[in-house]
Amino acid sequence: MMKRKMVNFKVNGELHEVLVESNALLVNVLREELGLTGTKYSCGTGQCGSCTVLVNGKPALSCLMLAVAVDGADIVTIEGLAKPDGSLEPVQEAFLDHSAIQCGFCTPGMVIMGRDLLNKNSNPSESEIQEHIKGTLCRCTGYTSIVRAIKSCGK
Amino acid sequence: MKKRTFSTVGQVTRRKDGISKVTGREVYSSDVSLPNMLYARVLRSPYPHAKIVSIDLTEAEKMGAICITPADVPKIRYNERQVSIPEKTYRDRTVLPEKTRHVGEGIAAVAARTEALAEKMLQKITVKYERLKAVFDPFEAMKPGASQLYKDVILGDVVLPITRNIACNREVSEGDIEKGFKEADLVIENEFRTGRAYHHQMETKAVVCRPEPDGGITIWSTMQSIHNARQLLGRIFNISLSKINVHRVPIGGTFGSSIQMNSPVAICVALALKARTPVKLVLTREEDMYDHCKYPSIIKLKHGIKRDGTITAGEMKVFVDIGAHNIQAYPLLGCMAGWFVSLYRMPHMRFEGTSVYTNKAPACAMQGFGNPQVSFAVESQIDIIAEELGIDPIEMRLKNYVGLGETFWGQGPTVRSVIRSCGVEEMLIKGKELIGWDKRVKPEEKTGRFRLGIGVGRSFHTSGTGAPVPGEVMDYSTAMVKFNEDGSVDCLTALMCHGGGTLEAIAKIVAEEIGVPLTKVEISPADTRSTGYDVCTHATRGVYCGGASAQRAANEAKRKLLKFASRILEVNPEVLKIRPDEESDQGIIFLEGAKGKSITVGEVARIAQIKGWGTAISVESHRQVNCPPCFVTNLIEVEVDTETGQIKPVRAVAAVDAGTVINPDLAAGQLEGGLCRGIGLALLEDTEYNPETGELTCGANLTDYKIYTSADMPLVDDIHTFFASTYEPSGPMGAKGVGEAAINCTAGTVANAIYNAIGVRFKEAPITPEKVLAKLGEKTKKH
Repeated sequence: MMKRKMVNFKVNGELHEVLVESNALLVNVLREELGLTGTKYSCGTGQCGSCTVLVNGKPALSCLMLAVAVDGADIVTIEGLAKPDGSLEPVQEAFLDHSAIQCGFCTPGMVIMGRDLLNKNSNPSESEIQEHIKGTLCRCTGYTSIVRAIKSCGK
Repeated sequence: MKKRTFSTVGQVTRRKDGISKVTGREVYSSDVSLPNMLYARVLRSPYPHAKIVSIDLTEAEKMGAICITPADVPKIRYNERQVSIPEKTYRDRTVLPEKTRHVGEGIAAVAARTEALAEKMLQKITVKYERLKAVFDPFEAMKPGASQLYKDVILGDVVLPITRNIACNREVSEGDIEKGFKEADLVIENEFRTGRAYHHQMETKAVVCRPEPDGGITIWSTMQSIHNARQLLGRIFNISLSKINVHRVPIGGTFGSSIQMNSPVAICVALALKARTPVKLVLTREEDMYDHCKYPSIIKLKHGIKRDGTITAGEMKVFVDIGAHNIQAYPLLGCMAGWFVSLYRMPHMRFEGTSVYTNKAPACAMQGFGNPQVSFAVESQIDIIAEELGIDPIEMRLKNYVGLGETFWGQGPTVRSVIRSCGVEEMLIKGKELIGWDKRVKPEEKTGRFRLGIGVGRSFHTSGTGAPVPGEVMDYSTAMVKFNEDGSVDCLTALMCHGGGTLEAIAKIVAEEIGVPLTKVEISPADTRSTGYDVCTHATRGVYCGGASAQRAANEAKRKLLKFASRILEVNPEVLKIRPDEESDQGIIFLEGAKGKSITVGEVARIAQIKGWGTAISVESHRQVNCPPCFVTNLIEVEVDTETGQIKPVRAVAAVDAGTVINPDLAAGQLEGGLCRGIGLALLEDTEYNPETGELTCGANLTDYKIYTSADMPLVDDIHTFFASTYEPSGPMGAKGVGEAAINCTAGTVANAIYNAIGVRFKEAPITPEKVLAKLGEKTKKH
């Protein structure tokens, strides 16, 4: 039997205590244990960015991260970006206004990467946006509307 | 045609499913979780071609695995895709095969409490194989004595022997091809090839099946057509169709990859029926890449032309390597003939298509269904001809395109209709200005390491597969529209949205037809038990065909509502109209010019309910009897690095003639996405196989199967999309499709732009840096 370990972390502001197998991946713990299916599983090997979450404020690929490695961390998933009253985060609003969503499967990862860039750079150029989200693959949009949406949030 | 003015159609609005998608609350098949659910894993063949001698489950079953092998599943042979009429449907597969025909083919499966446990159990299964010789090249496969994938298949209900691995072939001719070539001043012949690209939809194929106490099953899965799965599962597992419920579930992209009921679905159903509890099966990316790919093509193309640029004859010979299963090769070849015929006028034509089995992942529909392949060949050839004759490429296209009043083949030779709207000229002329065509210079006038080149290309896709005479492919949709007591409206349809906004468009069409605000129309969740048959979303038919059925249902429900209103207002129902009303935020029924004679939609529905008159509701099945082409045009500028062979798209114009554009922002998004995937087809995407092992040389992962990233695309301001201002008289609100058209001419346009940059004609896509350097090397040697 795989060794189990109790981990404590904060997800979207809420403290969780979860008993996980030592090889459990963060993406699976989020999706299956906590029911946070907004974080998507697409390649499982860190090549597409669909499973991106913020760990201690930094973007991380949750399909490459062991749950035991985030003990004590502060995690934000796509479900935690909107305010508790349901009002959306500006990047989310911008994705809606610029029709930067098609099938929506890459959207959670894209929105998180957009938020991350804007946290570091309040007025990114188009090239800076293209560069920042290049690890997050989208098969539907050709990225144009996504770049446009993130750019519109610049101040 | 007189253009209508609209209140909802053509408005830019936030998509209705946007909030759930942007907050991570949209539930895809891979997110579905049920009480007491088991997880499945599939044992896959490591060999490209082998007989399965025995499967030993002892060790796995000791661990508590619920297992299925070929011996446990129905023997019935089926085709995963049922849209052709039965006598044109080739059936060659079973739930699990007795012989494996490609690496990665599922041969057994287990279900267990966790995915990890299921995976461990798989490793305890021992399989004895008898390896057979494999074939990977379609021409080798057709040679006498080559290893045979099939002895026979079922065509309709008849056993069809297979010889030389030829799955099917088609010949189509019109006029007298010999006469056509005799009349020509010039005959130009070339061979073109396109790759076996992978769909790369972001959500891998997934399915959840719940067996029901009454012997029925409920399904949540990645699929474009829920009714296709309902019919197939009923047939395979001998379950009454009224006990099968297939839910429409939002899908994480498809591009054709889920046009058929995918292989995991039947496997999951077999496991769930055996386990008597829900089972979930989600493919890994590696498994998904071994499941399907695009139809590759080898196209031998011959044109006869007069000095003035008139085409006298055209001949196309196509070979398609379909891999291990024949899903839709027969309609594919017919469509390829149709795309060829409908691009440029040819008084005499001949088409010959051959599809061949090989021991590779099975090819299936991928955005464009043979059209990106045909358009790559024809659009390249048109530029070759234009240069030979000294005619401007745009002039050459304007002279020969098939347009207004001419016949369009929307789905092969049996689905034809007359073109009633056409924006080809408008798009070429406007596109020419936007890209700066007149400043374009010949390749020989360019110097330096980085060379820029501009190319043009055009194509179309069909809008659905309707025609005055039903052909070999089924096509109709069913929709229900009903009024609620607060003035809101429900629309129920089995149509699927692949992300492009099909259901958004349906809501707008219904709102417009009735005269209520868009906020008052919602698309209901759909499943097979509550919707009428619908061939659903494929062939760029969602808006044109599905929209027309929704419009019809809306119109009929409205007629009923107005009848109720006429009793309340004491006027004749024919004189009543409905318009969106800002104050009440719903539709208001009124008599023109008569003050006081008005009432809200909700009030009528409420009174009708209280008085027992009934609900204003309608269900309509509708078949479109036309298949109008949605024309598309690209003009693309590329930069070729003559030292590294790297090609970068730097500017692009993409235009579509979609008739009335229902969702302008989403239609533009489809053009942008099509452009990106089309450039990928031109420059990057293909799958190759190791002939020793039968494995994908890219290792079936997303790092080594590359697609374009955000950093590879031109800047936002360097991509220009626009719409032709046309109105399709047979379409709902004047609309045609967009969907597949968006990609169809891109690869050919890129090849033409590369030629304009460096004077080298590439006839094989993808045009990789290696190929560019090799050709540039040859060119330098010659000088």
